Amino acid sequence: MIKTRVSNNRLMKRIWQHKLFYLFMLPGIVWFFLFSYVPLYGIQVAFRDYNFVGGFTGSPWAGLKYFQQFFNYYQSGDIIRNTIIISLMKLLIGFPMPIILALLLNEVRMIKFKKTVQTLSYLPYFVSWIVVVTLMQRLLTPYGGPVNDLLGSFGAESIQFLNNPTWFYQMIVGSDIWKNIGWNSIIFMAAIAGIDQQLYEAAKMDGAGRFRQMWHVSLPGIRNVAIILFILAVGSLMSAGYEQLLLLNGPATANLGSVLDVHAINSGIREGRLSYAAAVGLFQSVIALILVVTVNRIARKVSDVSLF
Amino acid sequence: MNRIWSKGVSILLVSIMAGGLLSGCTNSSGNGEGAEGGDGNKLKILHNWNGSGGSDNGITPVEEVIKEKTGVTLEWEYTKGSETEKVNQIFATQDLPDIYTGPAWGGELDGIIKAAKEGQLVDISDKLGDYPNLAKSIAKENVPPALYEKAIDAYDGKKYLLLQNQPATNEDGMDWLYGFYVRKDIAEKVGVDPQSVVTKEDFYNFLQKIKDANLKESGQPVFPLGGFSNGWSVGIGNTMFYSGASYVDKGDGTVEHNFFTKGYEEYTLFYRKLVEEGLMDPEAFTQTDPIAKEKINQGRIAILAAHYPAILDASKEYVTAHPGSDYIPVGPLERADVDPSRPVDLGIQGNNVTAITSSCKGACVDAALKFLDYMASDEGFMLARYGVQGVHWDMKDGKPVPNKEWFDKFTADQSGKVRKNEGISIGLESVTGLDRINSAAGGDIWADQDRLDAMENARKILRPNGIHVITAYNPGDVITKSPEWEMLKPSMDRMGDAWKEAIFAKSDEAALSIINDLREQLRKTGYDQAMQFTNENLKGKDIVTVQMPN
Repeated sequence: MIKTRVSNNRLMKRIWQHKLFYLFMLPGIVWFFLFSYVPLYGIQVAFRDYNFVGGFTGSPWAGLKYFQQFFNYYQSGDIIRNTIIISLMKLLIGFPMPIILALLLNEVRMIKFKKTVQTLSYLPYFVSWIVVVTLMQRLLTPYGGPVNDLLGSFGAESIQFLNNPTWFYQMIVGSDIWKNIGWNSIIFMAAIAGIDQQLYEAAKMDGAGRFRQMWHVSLPGIRNVAIILFILAVGSLMSAGYEQLLLLNGPATANLGSVLDVHAINSGIREGRLSYAAAVGLFQSVIALILVVTVNRIARKVSDVSLF
Repeated sequence: MNRIWSKGVSILLVSIMAGGLLSGCTNSSGNGEGAEGGDGNKLKILHNWNGSGGSDNGITPVEEVIKEKTGVTLEWEYTKGSETEKVNQIFATQDLPDIYTGPAWGGELDGIIKAAKEGQLVDISDKLGDYPNLAKSIAKENVPPALYEKAIDAYDGKKYLLLQNQPATNEDGMDWLYGFYVRKDIAEKVGVDPQSVVTKEDFYNFLQKIKDANLKESGQPVFPLGGFSNGWSVGIGNTMFYSGASYVDKGDGTVEHNFFTKGYEEYTLFYRKLVEEGLMDPEAFTQTDPIAKEKINQGRIAILAAHYPAILDASKEYVTAHPGSDYIPVGPLERADVDPSRPVDLGIQGNNVTAITSSCKGACVDAALKFLDYMASDEGFMLARYGVQGVHWDMKDGKPVPNKEWFDKFTADQSGKVRKNEGISIGLESVTGLDRINSAAGGDIWADQDRLDAMENARKILRPNGIHVITAYNPGDVITKSPEWEMLKPSMDRMGDAWKEAIFAKSDEAALSIINDLREQLRKTGYDQAMQFTNENLKGKDIVTVQMPN
C-alpha cells in the first residue's frame, strides 16, 4: 500500500530510495519538534495570569496586561536601548572577526602552527561563562591581578576593568569575541576549503599576490555563507547574551548593561512573574522575527542570497 | 551481507541518537518514592539556604538514627545561589522535593505562600492532631503575630507551613550580634579605640585613617571596609541614618517606607562617598562568597560587616596563623532618632519555614510528617544539634556533655566538614521545631570556649542596654495584602538594586536621581494607596518602626 503511494510521488520515491540517509534526519526532526515547536504552546502564558493550579490552559486570560506593564515600566526604554547597543556592537565588531581569522589562517602554511592556533581559538567556546567571568575577575582585578601588575611594571596606573562604565563595552565585546571567534570561524574555514583551487591558480597567473588572492578569490568565495550567517545574527539583535550580561554587569554599570534577557530572567525566576517574563520574551522574539524577515528581503534584493 | 550490516549499523546509530535525545528530555531527578506512589521510605528534602551543604560520605551516623527511628532515608538537595530564585524555579519547573525547608522572610516566604495558595503544598491541618510537636511549633502563641497572619493561618483554616527555630523562651533567643568588626591589630596600628567610634563621622574618620595607613598584606592593599558575597552585609550602617526598620514613623501616627525618607538619601550618599574615596572594597557587591572569604583569609579586610558567627568562622584560619588579628566590635554606633539608652530592638523569631509539597502523596505525606515530628521532638532536636547520643555526646547529671574525642576533632576542623560528615549542620537543625537550645538542651555543647568568650565580649560591648525582642506588627507583612501589591511588588523588589546603583553613581545628583526615579515609579504603581491601606489596617496596633539587623 505504502509502495503504491510512494510510486505516485517522485519526492517520496526518492526519499524511500534513500531512506537510510533520511533516517539520520530523524533525531534532528525530533529535536526541532520538541524544543522549537512544542514550547510554542507555552507562549499563551504571556496572555494569561499564570498560576500553578490552572497551568497553561486553565489560568485566566489577561489580555495584553503584561505587555502594558513592560512598556509602562520606568526602565523599559533603557533596557531596550542597552540591548540594541550591546547587540549592535557585538554584531558590527564581532561578526567580521571570525572571517578575518579564517582568512588569516588560510594563509598560514605551517600546518602545526595553524592547527595549534585553531585549537586554541576553539577552546574558549567550550568554557562556560561562569568560568570565563571568574577568570576575568582574577586576571583583571586591580588588587593583585596579573594584568594590572604588568601595567604597573611599565609605570601605568591600575585600571578597574570590571564594574566600571568606562571599560564596560570593551569588556563585553572583547570577551564575547575571545569566546566565540574560533568556533564561528569553523564554517568560514570550511567555505574557504571548498573554493576551487583553479581560481587561485588563475589569480596567480594574472599576477595576484597573497593579499589580492585573498581579496578577489577567498573573500568572494565565502560571501554567500557570510550573508546567510549575518541574516541569522541580525535575528539575535534583541538578545544581547543572558549569561554574559548577568555575570559581568554590576551595580556601577547597570545603566549600560541592563538588557532584555536578564530582565526577563530576573522577572521570571527571581520575582516569580512568569507571565510578565514570557511577555518580555515574546516581545524579543517578535522583533527578532521582523528583523530577520527584513534583512533577508534586503539581502535578496542586494545580493540574490537569502535564507528563504 | 554488507548491505545488511550497513542497514543494521545505521538503524542502531539513529536509535542511539534519538534515544539519547529523548532520554535527555525525561525528568530523571525523581521526587522521592512518595511521588511515585511508593511507601515513603525515601524523602527528597530541599534545604534552601544558599551555601548550605551536606556530608561527603553518603548517609551519616545521624541519618542512620533517623532511619532507625522513623524508617525514612533522606536524599538532600542544597541551594547554591539565590533562595528566592530557587523557590520560583522549583514551582515553575515542577521539579519539587518532598519536603521544602528554607528562610522565613522576604521573597522566599512570599514564593512559598503563593505556592500554598495555588495548591502546591500539602494541607496538614487535619493531621496535626497526630503530630503534637509540629502542632506546637505553629501554635498561635509560638509564632510572631504578623507572620502567623501572613503565612501560617492565612488559608481559610487550612495549614500548609511549619515554622522552625522560633525561640521557645527568651533564654533561647539567638542574638547574632550583627555589626561592624575591626581587626584588632589594625585598630591598634592606626591608633583608634574601636569603642570610641560612635557617630557616622567617627566611623568615616576611622575608615579614612585605615586607608591613610596604606596597609598591605602579601603585597596587596588592605580594604578599610568589606563584606561577604554580594556585599552582605556592608549596608548595615543604615541604622546611623534612619531607625533601621523598613517602615519608619512619620510622626503623625502613620508609617512610610524608609526608601522615601531624607535619612535614606543621606545613607545612600554616605556610602557613595565611601566607594568614591576608596574606603570600601569596590568588588564587594560583585564578589562571590569564596572570593570574599579568600580576601578575609589573606588579611585584606580591615573592617567587616556581618553577624559575628560568620566573621569568626571566616577569619578562623587567618587568626590562627596570625595571633592578635581577631575581629573585635566597633561601637556601638549611634542609632538615628533613637534614645541611646534604649535596648537594641531585634526581630528574633523563627527563621525557617518547612512544607510538604504536592509532589509527596499518600504514604509519602505520612512518612514526611513522622520524620518532621520526630525532628521536632526533644530527642530529634538534640540529635540534629549534638549528634548521636552515646557516640558524639552523653547525658551526665541531666546535661548533655560532648565526647572529648569528637569535641577535639570538631574544634580542630576549620572547614566544618568533619561535623557535616557525622550529620551535624547538614540542614536537619532547620526542621527541629521550637528553638530550645538553652532552656531544654543545656546550650551549644560544641561551641569552643574561645568562641563563647568572644561572643560574650562582643555582646557586652554592642548591647550595653540589653536587647528588646520585637513582637509588634511589621507593616511589610500588611502591605502585601493591599490591592495594589501585585503592581507594586516589582518596584519594591528593585529598591536594593537601585541603592547599589546609586552608590556607584558618578555624582551625588546622579545617585539621588536613581533613587527619585524609583520613588516616582513606586508612586505610579500604587505606593500611596498601598500605604494608606497599610496604615488603616495597622491603626491601634503596635508597629515595628525601630529595628536592628538580626
